[in-house]
Amino acid sequence: MSLADTAQQIRRRDLRLPLVAALLVVALAAPFIGSRYVTHSLIIALIFMLPAHGLNLLVGYTGLLSLAQAAFFGIGAYTAGLLAVHYGTPFYVNAAAAGLLAGACALPLGVPALRLRATSFVMCTLGFVIIGQAIAKNWISVTRGDMGLSAIPKPHFALGPLSFTVSGTTSFYYMALAIGALATLAVWMIVRSPAGRNMIAIRENETLAESLGVPTWRYKLIVFIISAVFAGVGGSLYAHYLTVVSPLTFQMYYSTTMLIIVLGGGAGTISGVVFGSLLFVGLTEALRITPELRMIAYGLCLLVLVFWFKKGFAPVINRFWDLIGGTK
Amino acid sequence: MFSTIIEQIVNGIVTGSVYAIVAVGMTMIFGVLRAINFAHGEYYMLGTFGAWFAVDYLGLSYEASIIVGVLSTIVVAYVVGRLVMQRMVGAPAEAGVLATLGIALVLQNTVILVFGGGYKFFSGGYIEPLSILGFSLAGQRILILVVCLPVFIGLEFMVTYSRMGKSMRAVSQNVECCEVVGIDVPKVVLHTFILGAALAALSGVLTAPVNVSVYGGMGELITFKTLPIIIMGGLGNVRGTFVAAMILGIAESLVATYVGLQFRDTVGFATLILMLMWRPYGLFSTQARF
Repeated sequence: MSLADTAQQIRRRDLRLPLVAALLVVALAAPFIGSRYVTHSLIIALIFMLPAHGLNLLVGYTGLLSLAQAAFFGIGAYTAGLLAVHYGTPFYVNAAAAGLLAGACALPLGVPALRLRATSFVMCTLGFVIIGQAIAKNWISVTRGDMGLSAIPKPHFALGPLSFTVSGTTSFYYMALAIGALATLAVWMIVRSPAGRNMIAIRENETLAESLGVPTWRYKLIVFIISAVFAGVGGSLYAHYLTVVSPLTFQMYYSTTMLIIVLGGGAGTISGVVFGSLLFVGLTEALRITPELRMIAYGLCLLVLVFWFKKGFAPVINRFWDLIGGTK
Repeated sequence: MFSTIIEQIVNGIVTGSVYAIVAVGMTMIFGVLRAINFAHGEYYMLGTFGAWFAVDYLGLSYEASIIVGVLSTIVVAYVVGRLVMQRMVGAPAEAGVLATLGIALVLQNTVILVFGGGYKFFSGGYIEPLSILGFSLAGQRILILVVCLPVFIGLEFMVTYSRMGKSMRAVSQNVECCEVVGIDVPKVVLHTFILGAALAALSGVLTAPVNVSVYGGMGELITFKTLPIIIMGGLGNVRGTFVAAMILGIAESLVATYVGLQFRDTVGFATLILMLMWRPYGLFSTQARF
């Protein structure tokens, strides 16, 4: 019983490098090809890709269905926003602080939550989002309540005498792209390491993994924290891009969006998350679908994914890709 | 001072009755499907919208709008039950979570798309205060109390004595054995689900005159309130759910008065997390059933 079964290794290694290279070229050239609105959609997709990568480690590799991602996303957004507004710290400090604080919050939340299984774990993680929203609404002296934080400055970098402010949409896009690429690389390294194989072992059969000497409890806790760090960094990007943070950052809609990205793209694959965030966030933004229609589409997608496409839509694309590559 | 406490407790019991009628459906659905229905509050919302539509557009009386609200929800629940809930028999827990989250998104946003996202004013109901034993209570609140008790007594009898209730209990104990002895599991699931959704809708219609405002997102909050109640009551336990709903209702109304209104909606989730930590099997049971 898991959301992602170990996919058999299909022989298409020969096509992987050219694909990544082509994607990189398209990604780098995107602001010059598309309109400003397309660039904006891509930025939103990249922002959501970060928490989705974290969630993928949790759902796709370790087999824990969590809804708490929006809570850590919100913590990250508020941390970055508060630091930038009150202290004017450079962006990399804000992003690091956002990630670290989200991770630090994940430790005390994860210790009790990870004792629960299946549905209880889902309910508990949902509780974190609701309580996070309540704190953001009521801790008025810090978060300014429902008014939220506004006028968060554009990210700037300061290293010694050098300083640089990311002001335009295009330059923000390149910054988000760089962070997204780094995050993807980080996930790739985690998954490829022996730790990644242990995570998959936990997903496939926790008892068996434990019996083979995998410290399952420690692994689950660490993955929960890592996923929170990813969400926190994503939150800091969100705060700096939208320049506004409100208690609505903590909402189940964001958790659901991240779940759709991971499950739709294909849980347990890295390319799935990249593909999922482009498809579900980037495309729906770019097509200017009204929010209600988008959420109905998300809901229908969830149903279709659960009952018919258990491995997400990525295998469909993969089959197409194999056909082109002639490997199968 | 003392009378304020009594008044708040009475208010809490009214709120608790509303929660109880919604939560009992959810706990029964959990019993037969082993899945938390994250869309349960949406049927509450559908019931309210059906009644609002009947009063505002069709010009029907409040009594008739109760029937319209509940019947329209039953139709929706039948479709959802046939298409989705019946597929969840024997599916992993995660599939249930995701599928019901999907249903919640679809139902909620379809209603917002059709009727608009704004707050609507519900004009029906008995809002004149009645004076009983020195306390004045809106007629509608008394109606809620009056409806809640027979509903629970009826459910208790149904679960214990009727064929449907017996097969529900059987399915909640062992699906394979039910299939062996010839109980139509998908049918039991469908009937339980429709019953639960209809109860949620009834609760929604009864509360609408008290809440006054009707909006598309109202179901989500109810789902969130229902989760701690069914955990406290012990999953699948009808009587326990009733007591747990009363506890949460009273606790919320006391917290709203003495701590602050803004903390009212947090009580539920704080309770949920504490319950999951220390007594995940509920207040009234000594060992885990699920």
